[in-house]
Amino acid sequence: MSKRLLDFRDRTAIAGVGYTPFTKDSGVSTLTLACRAVLAAVEDAGLSVDDVDGLATHRVGDSAAPTLVGPALGLTDLAWHLDQFGGGSVSHAVVGQAALAVAAGMAETVVCYRAINARSEFRMGGTGRGVPVSPEVQYQAPYGYVAPPQQYAMYARAHMSKYGTKAEHFGQLAVTQRANAAKNPRALMRTPITLDDYLASRWIAEPFRLLDCCLETDGACAVVVTTAERARSLRRTPVLVSAAAWGGGTTHLSDPSADPTVTAAAALAPRLYAQAGLGPGDIDVAELYDCFTYSVVVQLEDYGFCGKGEGGPYVASGATALDGPLPVNTHGGFLSEGYVHGMNHIAEAVSQLRGDAGDRQVVGAEVALSTAQPGYILPATSALILRRP
Amino acid sequence: MTAYRPAFDRDSRQWWERVGRREFAVQECDGCGAARFPARAFCPACRTEAWHWREVEPEGVVESWIVNHQPFMPGLAEPYVVVMVRLAAVPGCFVYGNWRGDRPPEPGERVRAAYRRIDEELTLVDWEPAEDGGNLDTHPARRTSSR
Repeated sequence: MSKRLLDFRDRTAIAGVGYTPFTKDSGVSTLTLACRAVLAAVEDAGLSVDDVDGLATHRVGDSAAPTLVGPALGLTDLAWHLDQFGGGSVSHAVVGQAALAVAAGMAETVVCYRAINARSEFRMGGTGRGVPVSPEVQYQAPYGYVAPPQQYAMYARAHMSKYGTKAEHFGQLAVTQRANAAKNPRALMRTPITLDDYLASRWIAEPFRLLDCCLETDGACAVVVTTAERARSLRRTPVLVSAAAWGGGTTHLSDPSADPTVTAAAALAPRLYAQAGLGPGDIDVAELYDCFTYSVVVQLEDYGFCGKGEGGPYVASGATALDGPLPVNTHGGFLSEGYVHGMNHIAEAVSQLRGDAGDRQVVGAEVALSTAQPGYILPATSALILRRP
Repeated sequence: MTAYRPAFDRDSRQWWERVGRREFAVQECDGCGAARFPARAFCPACRTEAWHWREVEPEGVVESWIVNHQPFMPGLAEPYVVVMVRLAAVPGCFVYGNWRGDRPPEPGERVRAAYRRIDEELTLVDWEPAEDGGNLDTHPARRTSSR
């Protein structure tokens, strides 16, 4: 890593967060969702929308581009914008790139957002409409292999075969995150579940049951990135961007590591921690990409919270509960709060570090890790370390 | 029938045509000899473009599999099994297909391609237990040259 990168540490901050409600049918356009979340985040920061000089998002399936959202909000001369191709793999890269733009002086106030009508209009993975466009699709779709729950189930099975990871481990994660969601007024699914409920839920793609899968959601979420100096003068407690890192990954067909139970997060993590000058033991709360239960299990290993292959027993020990040594997905995650493709994980980390997470607040949370999809499917991943000043 | 007809592209068309003749081929780099799949112009090892097709044994080992309990695409009858196969001929390469076995696959099980002719234009590649069976506990990619 370049030594110059150390200049990046804590130079920028998240000054505000905003949400639309999470629902199964928003009843409005994706553009409207994006505008509402952007305005809510600006309001939370105590800024005017006219202060915004940058917009950033990412897209796969549904999205609203900055070039639509800007003019829709009367922002006709954005100094910087980003419309990155990619799904959950790049959610955190969007905020990382906004922080770079702000640190470089290209823009001063960038709102990063993700808006999707992912339940009522545009479901992921081709279910109910055409399959996604990628050259690799031709080698999979003819066999009925096309949707994310299938793909992640495939990787989960490999982990189960190699390390003895059990359905009960995945189930405990779902149960724990639902308990967190019960304390989150924003969450779509707030009724507590038991391990028996998990085991009784219907098969989707063995080894995954319904309760292994995240909630396809209509909603939007946004965060305001500005300089740390400016954030200190604003309404909210600033949350510093201590580190932002990007990583590689694997496609379905090509896996240079030849071990599908190790994700790109394992290579990214040392860069990320070094940039922040911290290690896994310094993380007080972790908001980890949970498109499916297994995604969290493998990231607990690859980000160094437990040994390789020990993610399942680690979860089963209660370590990731709100009162455990590493509270994970304190909002309920995609499994129970809603799926806004990563931005809601960043926003939850901000809430925890500001200390305004209500009944689910982790006492004394000072440093948070938040991560993107760990590099399966699209060969990319990204992550942030955030901290309170 | 198939739920989805693949759209051949300029890199892949010849591969599919060979499958139609029940031939399983991978690209071999003229520069460094590295094998690659799926078809693409550049060798990721030495970054040169010259290559030729090499017919290989359509073999591999089971890395993972799933049992689909809902029709993820219109026209599929569930449950159906998709298997992830570590291709013997290309290190670090996985391929996918439907399972042709009267029992579930086993991790590490040796498998062999089973061609499924859809029509004049399209043949698919499924996977079935290899006749000599047995599990491999070493890297399968190193086992191919002996055949």
